[in-house]
Amino acid sequence: MKLELGNFPVKEIEFGEQTAYQDGTLTINKEEALSVVYEDDHIIDADLKIVEPGDEVRLVPVKEAIEPRYREGGGPVFPGVTGELMQAGEGQTKALKDMSVLVVGKHWGGFQDGLIDMAGEGAKYTYFSRLKNVVLVADTDEEFEKREQQKKNRALRWAGMRLSEYLGRAVKDLEPEEVQELELPPIADRICELEDLPGVVLVLQPQSQMEEDGYNDLSYGWDTNHMLPTLMHPNEVLDGAMISGSFMPCSSKWSTYDFQNFPLIRKLYEEHGETLNFLGVIMSNLNVSLEEKERSAQFVAQIASTLGAEGAIVAEEGYGNPDADYTACLVALEEAGIDTVGVSNEATGRDGTSQPLVAMDPKADALVSTGNVSELIELPPMETVIGELEALARDGLSGGWEDDEELGPSVREDGSIIMENNAMFCGDGVTGWSTKTMKEF
Amino acid sequence: MDKKAIVYINQFFGQVGGEEAADHPPEIKEGAVGAAQALAAEFAGDITHTVICGDNFMSSNQEEATARILEMLEDIDFDIFFAGPAFQAGRYGNACGAIGKAVKEEFAVPVISSMNEENPGGEMFKKDIYIFPGGRSGAKMREDAKKMAEFGNEILTSEGPFPADEYGFYKRGIRHQYFRPDEKTAAERALDMLLKKMKGEEYTSELPIPEVDRVDIAPAIEDLSQVKVALVSSGGIVPVGNPDRIQSASATRWGKYNIAGMDRLENRASEGFKTIHAGFDPAAADEDPNRVVPVDALRKFEEEGRIGKLHDEFYVTVGTGTTVGEAARMGQEIAEDLKDAGVQAVILTST
Amino acid sequence: MAKEIERAGITIVQMANLVPVAKTTGANRIVPTISIPYPLGDPKTPEDEQWKVRYTRVGAALDALETDIEDQTVFKVG
Repeated sequence: MKLELGNFPVKEIEFGEQTAYQDGTLTINKEEALSVVYEDDHIIDADLKIVEPGDEVRLVPVKEAIEPRYREGGGPVFPGVTGELMQAGEGQTKALKDMSVLVVGKHWGGFQDGLIDMAGEGAKYTYFSRLKNVVLVADTDEEFEKREQQKKNRALRWAGMRLSEYLGRAVKDLEPEEVQELELPPIADRICELEDLPGVVLVLQPQSQMEEDGYNDLSYGWDTNHMLPTLMHPNEVLDGAMISGSFMPCSSKWSTYDFQNFPLIRKLYEEHGETLNFLGVIMSNLNVSLEEKERSAQFVAQIASTLGAEGAIVAEEGYGNPDADYTACLVALEEAGIDTVGVSNEATGRDGTSQPLVAMDPKADALVSTGNVSELIELPPMETVIGELEALARDGLSGGWEDDEELGPSVREDGSIIMENNAMFCGDGVTGWSTKTMKEF
Repeated sequence: MDKKAIVYINQFFGQVGGEEAADHPPEIKEGAVGAAQALAAEFAGDITHTVICGDNFMSSNQEEATARILEMLEDIDFDIFFAGPAFQAGRYGNACGAIGKAVKEEFAVPVISSMNEENPGGEMFKKDIYIFPGGRSGAKMREDAKKMAEFGNEILTSEGPFPADEYGFYKRGIRHQYFRPDEKTAAERALDMLLKKMKGEEYTSELPIPEVDRVDIAPAIEDLSQVKVALVSSGGIVPVGNPDRIQSASATRWGKYNIAGMDRLENRASEGFKTIHAGFDPAAADEDPNRVVPVDALRKFEEEGRIGKLHDEFYVTVGTGTTVGEAARMGQEIAEDLKDAGVQAVILTST
Repeated sequence: MAKEIERAGITIVQMANLVPVAKTTGANRIVPTISIPYPLGDPKTPEDEQWKVRYTRVGAALDALETDIEDQTVFKVG
């Protein structure tokens, strides 16, 4: 499978007459862009903003991040989600780089939503603080979940995808500045040339623990709760086959942007043919009951063994009881004789003394750790808030609270905040971004 | 540096005397006395006082000794507290740890000590204060004191963070996140680690799996028909009004609820019991709380004589997100209550 | 929690679905339950089925309390 990713670096974003890309500047016709957002009747109010690194802006509640793209031939950027089902990972896709579309609730947030600061101390906590962002801030008529802590955020997330596809069409007829060829030949054809290099698989455990539809990560539009681990070509993940869900404390979450740019996949691609033979992605999931967890781990180990993998990297989207899926998978791979490395965050509590994962096993002896979900973070007020600051305290965001006996409310009158890392938008960068680790103090 | 320190040493290093003076009660002297001078040589601030106490006095009257020393320090203004170095001396190590911990709790200043790895005081108190690995005996005084003083200088003048592996004190089981100065990403670290692991080279896991803290297995009950059995649950089943306001996650409270005369737990709809646990879909537990706290089944076993008696109260809290410390405290409180009630066996249900 | 109660000398059995989690926390006697949200009775099954599950599993827990063990033990249910 071969994917040609055509990159268009975005150096500046501005509003103007016509939506177009020229010499690094993305110009957006706001009215036209908003009309795409309003295609869904559930969107009752919407606006667009542009934020750049260094702007004194705080965004909350952030629901999703997406890289704007165009699929050559006009097919959906997210097959099975924004359009018909088709094969992703093959052919040509164009991408607007160094930017994202961020989706922010105008008022209401929830457990799964997060916060981004574009400047100051808070900016080091999320990858999106270093991108230029088109921010869709909107409200919906989804009354049924307005006051629910768990929100599907369906209208807003889909509006974000539509907007991203709209912006992507700006480069439809243009030549990209740079083309990256991502190609992995069929495994059986590689035997000779890569004979001496160890085969390695990447195992992903996207969030799929909600039994009800509408919350979990999707694979070609299919709820990952309803699947067994399966082999995917890494190009599929990078090319829109996977979209983020709307569940899990936010710092643990993988946004759609994260799937599209997956640093672990990019790194394995770099090493392919040099130090290893990248066999592919085993797309697993996270489950509720023990038997489901064990079944998935068993499937993963079986697929990896069947492929002849000698090494594996496992990444977990979440913490708490998903740690049992994570550990089970690491152990199953080790027991199959495959050298395995895990990537996850930890939950050591505000004081740092709690058990890092709820399930652990000494066989998991090579782990990368990307942060503590409960770390307390205190940040000064920002000049501008996009969305509604009170959402952090009021709406049950995983890292916020209305009041605390010791710490007071998350949102203070002067606009300063205190929160757990939990609410940093995709802050733990388990897909591979994170420059954080954990240390003993 | 305009910072003040107080040093704790024992009778020997305080030049009061050897084993014969080990019952020496605590006293405080101005300036750096005896071995405290080794610290003074490297500490950039001022050592204003030295506390000296006999090792025996401390080990046989720990509470009193601690109280007396805290009282001595009450009106003194200081920024940091050093205890030791204690080398391999067990009683001395314990004294340094105990007084260090008390001072830290009372005055909220950093406390630094040094002990040999064989000194049991290190294992006991490394969670509470900074303890550096030290030599076996006083021959290493200068070296050990230097480590303590230098870290003291650092902690008083820089903002940190102070990771154990960088500064060298014993790991304390306190894990916090840390931005790597080299900005090496998780993807790069994972690949490095994997390549090393596959080649059989050495690598360092960023999350070493801690040993499971085990307790001695309680003996089997010989005959349950003679015994009072209690139900305990972390599934958040409470009377519908949640009278004890137990939190739905990160709980710090627990409750006990009377079930005397009840054949089963009535459900939420009949104003009986419900779950307040935030970690799972509550529908099944609300509809029939016996699915989580099986009062009905135990009543049956009671009736059949399989168990002597079902305890009149069941105990409950919420497991999700609760810190280890809080869980241990609540566990201890519940255990005490159970013992007072003469309960010999417990079924704990978790969700 | 199980640990603190056992430390106080009370014999305890933990009934949990996530056995690896119970093992990691150091529980010594463990009896598996059928799921997280409904440990002892699947609402999708008839009442008498649920009762059977509950009676059997709690019975297994009582057996566990009467069983001498040397190491952490996960008891099999019928």
